[in-house]
Amino acid sequence: MNIQVLSDVNFGEELPVFDPDTGIENVRRFCKAANWMGPRFTDHEAAKKEGLPGALVPGIMSQGFLAAMIHRWAPTGNIKHIDTVFRAPVIVDEHYHIKGVVTDIDEDSGQVEIDLTVVNDAGETRVFGTATVVLLQSA
Amino acid sequence: MILDLHAHSIKSDDGRAKVSNYVQWIKTRGLPIDGFVLTEHRQFDFESDYSDMARESGLVILKGSEVETEYGHVLVFGVTESLTQSLDFTNIRLALKDVLKAADDHGAIAIPCHPGRPRVGMAAHIETYGIPAGVGIVETFNGGSRENEDEIAQVMASAQGYRGIGGSDAHIVSHIGRCATRFEDSIRNETELVISLRSGRFEAITYRNAAA
Amino acid sequence: MRKQDNEHNIDEADIREARAKFLNHVFDEKTFTFTAEQFADYAIACGETASCYTDPKHPDFQASPGFPCSLHPSQRMPDGYPRFNGLGMDAGKAITVYQPIRPGVTLTGRTHIHDIYTKSGRSGRMVFSLIRMDIYDGENLLSSADTSIVIRERPAA
Repeated sequence: MNIQVLSDVNFGEELPVFDPDTGIENVRRFCKAANWMGPRFTDHEAAKKEGLPGALVPGIMSQGFLAAMIHRWAPTGNIKHIDTVFRAPVIVDEHYHIKGVVTDIDEDSGQVEIDLTVVNDAGETRVFGTATVVLLQSA
Repeated sequence: MILDLHAHSIKSDDGRAKVSNYVQWIKTRGLPIDGFVLTEHRQFDFESDYSDMARESGLVILKGSEVETEYGHVLVFGVTESLTQSLDFTNIRLALKDVLKAADDHGAIAIPCHPGRPRVGMAAHIETYGIPAGVGIVETFNGGSRENEDEIAQVMASAQGYRGIGGSDAHIVSHIGRCATRFEDSIRNETELVISLRSGRFEAITYRNAAA
Repeated sequence: MRKQDNEHNIDEADIREARAKFLNHVFDEKTFTFTAEQFADYAIACGETASCYTDPKHPDFQASPGFPCSLHPSQRMPDGYPRFNGLGMDAGKAITVYQPIRPGVTLTGRTHIHDIYTKSGRSGRMVFSLIRMDIYDGENLLSSADTSIVIRERPAA
């Protein structure tokens, strides 16, 4: 169900999980739009030469996945703050899950806080963070 | 009594959880824990008083610290002002033997955490520095562990005869209570926590497999 | 600046000195202008579905909230900032949004060092530099983008 107004939201509610496109072509498209065309993001072999396990999904792209998940859940939600901590590399062409859960609702300001995680298939958190989202208080 | 012995709030540089939201999460989700200990990185939070929140929620909310040594990170429970005066919690190059001794001298207890983790876990440094004297307990379940880090911790604990504790290492609200420690005793404050840890009447538990 | 200690690479006195010298001083000012297509491509690659971020024809079309985090100042660090010995990586990004960013508008990014600190982690000892770029449209502050850069210390030779 899409969230339209604050009263639609419940504390502890899990946002629908979103599996992002981390394929090399999509990452290259992102890097071009963001003007982040470093080989560590767009070329597995070049990244390995830098001592990395493979090409990295840029942190700002992981952040973008998390914002996209919020908008899929609440299309009119207005993200006021999003804060992401990169704990471990997110690797291009590997499979991840973008998750969120509501951890605070402020009825007065119309704001909700959401815990955010990028998790791999083993259930390990690679990126975590929080977002503050303003929702309409009535339709 | 079950306590999550390892959690961070917004007082830690990488913590993103408000303590009030930990409480709300535990109560709303019906987590099977009776409380938690805030172990902020490289500091002891003398300022915050969670006693009203604890009383209203019925949860035990205690404070400790997580400091950094040549053997990796170490939880300290039972921190007093005199302990923080004798040990610089902000120093990221503390000697483990100094932390253990200072804790002991000031009625506290020091416990290496996530010992199976590369670099910041004790197991990674034994080859270089040897088995440290004075360690009796290590964290054998950590909610932030990846791959086989907990297994390394448990193998080391078993080999060295250490007892194990559990903690979530939560930095965000929804990670609280992923791992915890079950005590035989009832614990209401930091002094009782230290006594219970010294008694050895506890076991590490994990809820990670049950977590969403 | 004190000479770095060869055994540990990162000298704590350098950290204290760097904090005193660099915190909260704007060291870079740069202007930017973006097209609607850049904003839309950025959003679509991230999996955005809200049309105000993906469709330039939308009446409220704007940059994705995180877009300002992609902006680079003309110089990464202030002149004279210590060169800690190690591999630099993004440790985190945060954005605070005050007003939407529209395509075709000339933006000004003013950048300062907001915090410097050390800690140890899975990858060894680390120095964190928190860099904040405030993004303006004229005098209006549109957003503040924080980048946390971590230098992971190389093992001593």
